[in-house]
Amino acid sequence: MIESIEASPLYPIANPKSIVLFGASNNVTSMGTSLLDSVLDLGFKGEIYPVHPKEDRVQNLKAYRSVLDLPNVPELALIVLPTRIVSEAMDACGRKGIKHAIVISGGFKEVGGEGVHLEKELVTVANKYGMHFLGPNCIGVANPRHKLNTTFLPFQGNPGFIGMASQSGSFVTQMFSYLSDYGLGFSTAFSVGNEANIDIVDGMEYLGACPDTRVIALYIEGIRRGRAFVETARSIVPKKPIVALYVGGSKAGSRAGLSHTGALAGPDRLYEGIFRQSGIIRAQSVMEMFDICWMLGSVPRTRGRRVVIQTHSGGPGAEAADACGRAGLDLPSLSPETLQRLSPFIPRTASISNPVDFTYGKNLMDYFSKIPKVLLDEKNADILLFYFFAPYQRFQRMMRQMGVPPNQMAAQAAKLVDAYSESIIGLFKNHDKPFVGYTFQNLMDPLVKILIERGVPIFSGPQRAARAIGASFQYTRLRDKILATVSQEAGLGSS
Amino acid sequence: MRADDLIRPALHRGQLALSEYESKKLLSLYGIPVTKEKLSRSPDEAVSAAADLGFVVGLKVSSPKLIHKSELGCIELNLRSEGDVRKAYDRIINSVELEIEGVLVQEMVPGQRELVVGLIRDPQFGPCVMLGIGGMMTEVFEDTAFRMAPIGKIEAKDMSEELRFKAMLGAFRGQKPVDMDMLCHTLIAVGQIGLELEMVSEIDINPMIITPEGRVVAVDALVLLRKDIK
Repeated sequence: MIESIEASPLYPIANPKSIVLFGASNNVTSMGTSLLDSVLDLGFKGEIYPVHPKEDRVQNLKAYRSVLDLPNVPELALIVLPTRIVSEAMDACGRKGIKHAIVISGGFKEVGGEGVHLEKELVTVANKYGMHFLGPNCIGVANPRHKLNTTFLPFQGNPGFIGMASQSGSFVTQMFSYLSDYGLGFSTAFSVGNEANIDIVDGMEYLGACPDTRVIALYIEGIRRGRAFVETARSIVPKKPIVALYVGGSKAGSRAGLSHTGALAGPDRLYEGIFRQSGIIRAQSVMEMFDICWMLGSVPRTRGRRVVIQTHSGGPGAEAADACGRAGLDLPSLSPETLQRLSPFIPRTASISNPVDFTYGKNLMDYFSKIPKVLLDEKNADILLFYFFAPYQRFQRMMRQMGVPPNQMAAQAAKLVDAYSESIIGLFKNHDKPFVGYTFQNLMDPLVKILIERGVPIFSGPQRAARAIGASFQYTRLRDKILATVSQEAGLGSS
Repeated sequence: MRADDLIRPALHRGQLALSEYESKKLLSLYGIPVTKEKLSRSPDEAVSAAADLGFVVGLKVSSPKLIHKSELGCIELNLRSEGDVRKAYDRIINSVELEIEGVLVQEMVPGQRELVVGLIRDPQFGPCVMLGIGGMMTEVFEDTAFRMAPIGKIEAKDMSEELRFKAMLGAFRGQKPVDMDMLCHTLIAVGQIGLELEMVSEIDINPMIITPEGRVVAVDALVLLRKDIK
C-alpha cells in the first residue's frame, strides 16, 4: 500500500502539469486530433506541446518537429501514433527526460504475431529510461477535477466520487453521460489497456489513496498479478469499498486435468472466491456495479440487513418486500414505540406492518417529513427504503383545487417540490442510517430529479435498490472480516 | 518421515501422482485427519490388517497409476468377516492389470455428508485451496469455494459460508454440526502444502466425510506431482 497518492506511478499520469502529444494534426478525422480536442475542450490548465513532423501549428497550438526541441520537459507524453513508430517516440521521450506516458495506439500484444514483439520492444525502451506508462491499446485517463480527459470522446457531466480502473476503455468514455444521469461521476478513471507496464493493481492502489474517490469500480477480464491484487485490495477495503465486474468466467476456461479440483476450478468460481477473499463486492452487470457504487458512496455504513419500507401503495410495497427477501434482507416488525409515534399519521385504511403502507394520507408533507423520521429512528431497522411517487401534475391539480390562480400554479407547485425535497435532504444528510429511494417514475420528474442531483440514491424499481442495499451490507461484513484477520494476525505476531 | 521422503522417491520412480496410501501419509504430516489403514500384499496380510483395524473394513487397490478407482471397480466396501476380506482381495487384485503397490485395508468411516477439499495451482494466483460438496455428486452440484493460499481461520470459515449447500455442515438429520476447527485446519494445511511443496501440483481429497459426531476424515486422497520440477 502506497503512503500517499503522489507515490503512485499514476500520479503524474492523472495529474500532469504539462503534456506532449504525438499524433495530433490538422486532420480533423484523426484520432490524435480528437484526443487533443478532448484535452482542450475540458480546459486543461497546463502546457500542451503537439509534436508534428511537418506542421508549424496544430489546432492553433505551436507544434514542434521533435520532442527534443521542447522548451521544457513535459510531465506526460500522450502517444497516438502508428504502431511501428511508437517505440521510436517513446525513446525520444526518454532521451528528453520524460518519465511518464500514455500509449493509446493499438496493434500490440492484442493482435498477436508481430504486435507481441513490438510490445516487448516498447517495454524495453521504457525500462531503459525508467519510464512508467499506461497502455498500449488503451484510451487513457479522465480526471475531471484536474480538467484532464485524454480519451478521444468529449467528457460529459461533473466530477464525482467513483474511481474506476477498467480493462475496457468503453466503460470509461461511454459511461460519462450514464453516470451524469444519476448525479454521479468519476473522480478519476483509468483505461489500462494491455497493461504492459502499469496494470489494474496500480490503478486500484492509486484510487485507494485518492482523496476524491469514495468507492472504487473495477472492470476485469483477467488479473495478471494475482497475489498483488488480493493484497492491495485487502489493504484498501478497510478504508473504502471496491466493486468489481468480472467477465470471461465461462466454462471454456476450466482446465483439463486429472483432479476433480482442477476440473471444478473454472475461472468464474475461482474469481468469486478471490473477490470474497479480497473483500471486493462482485457485481453482475455494469449497471449493477454503478448502482452499488452509488449506494456505497452516498449513504452511511449499513449496520445490518433489516429494512423498513415506507410506501403509500400496496403493490409497490409488496414488490419491494419480495425484492428485499430475494436479496437476503430482512423486514423486521415495528417496535411499540414506533407504532405509537406513527398513530397520528395513520388513516383507518392504512396497514401498519412492514412494509408500512400509508395509503391515501391526509397531509402529504407528513409522508416526506415526520413519517420517515420516525421510521429512520426505528431501533429494529437498519435502513429505510422509501417509495417515491410524486408526479408533478398531481401537485398542479392540488393547486387548482385549492383555488390558486393559473398564473401562480407553477410557482406554487415548485415551492411544494422544494419543501418536500428539503425535508428529505435533511433526513438523508443528518441521520446515521441509510435512506434509499425507489420509484417507477421517470428520473426527470421534478422531485426525484432534485433529490438525485442532491445525492440521494433513488433506484428505478425495488430490485435494483434491494440489490444495492444487500451489497452495502456485504461491504460491512467484508470489511469486518478483513479487520478481524488483521487484528488476529497482529495478535499472533506479538504473542 | 518428511514430505520429501515421500515425494522424491515417487518422482524418481517416474510417478505422476502419489498412490492413495502415500497421499494420505503426506496429508497426515500436515495434521490432516485421514482414515486408519494398512497396506497389504497378500490375502493373509489383508486379513491380519483387518483384524488389527477392527471390522468393518474396505479394500482398495493402491497404485500411483490409478487415479479414479471407483469407476474401475477396484474397491470393495463394508467387509464384515475374514471370508469377506479374502474373497474381496482376490476379486479386486484380478480386476486391474496395472502394476500395483498393494491393497489398502481401511476402516469404514460412517457418515453420509461428503465434502471435497483440494488444491490447484493457478498461473496468476498461485496455490489455491478449494472446499466443495463432494462424493459422487461433486461435478453435479458444482458447489465450491476457492481461496488463494495462505489462508487463516477466518477465511477458511468463510469458505464454508460461501457454499450454497452450507446447511449440510450444520446439525443435520440427527448428526452433529461439522467440527469447524478441524475443517478449517484441513483447509489451512492444504494451502500450506501448496506453498511449501512446489513438487505438488494438485490435490484432491474426495470424499472428506463428516462423521455423525462432526469429525472430518479424508477417506480418499490423490496428490498429483509436477514432472517439470526436479
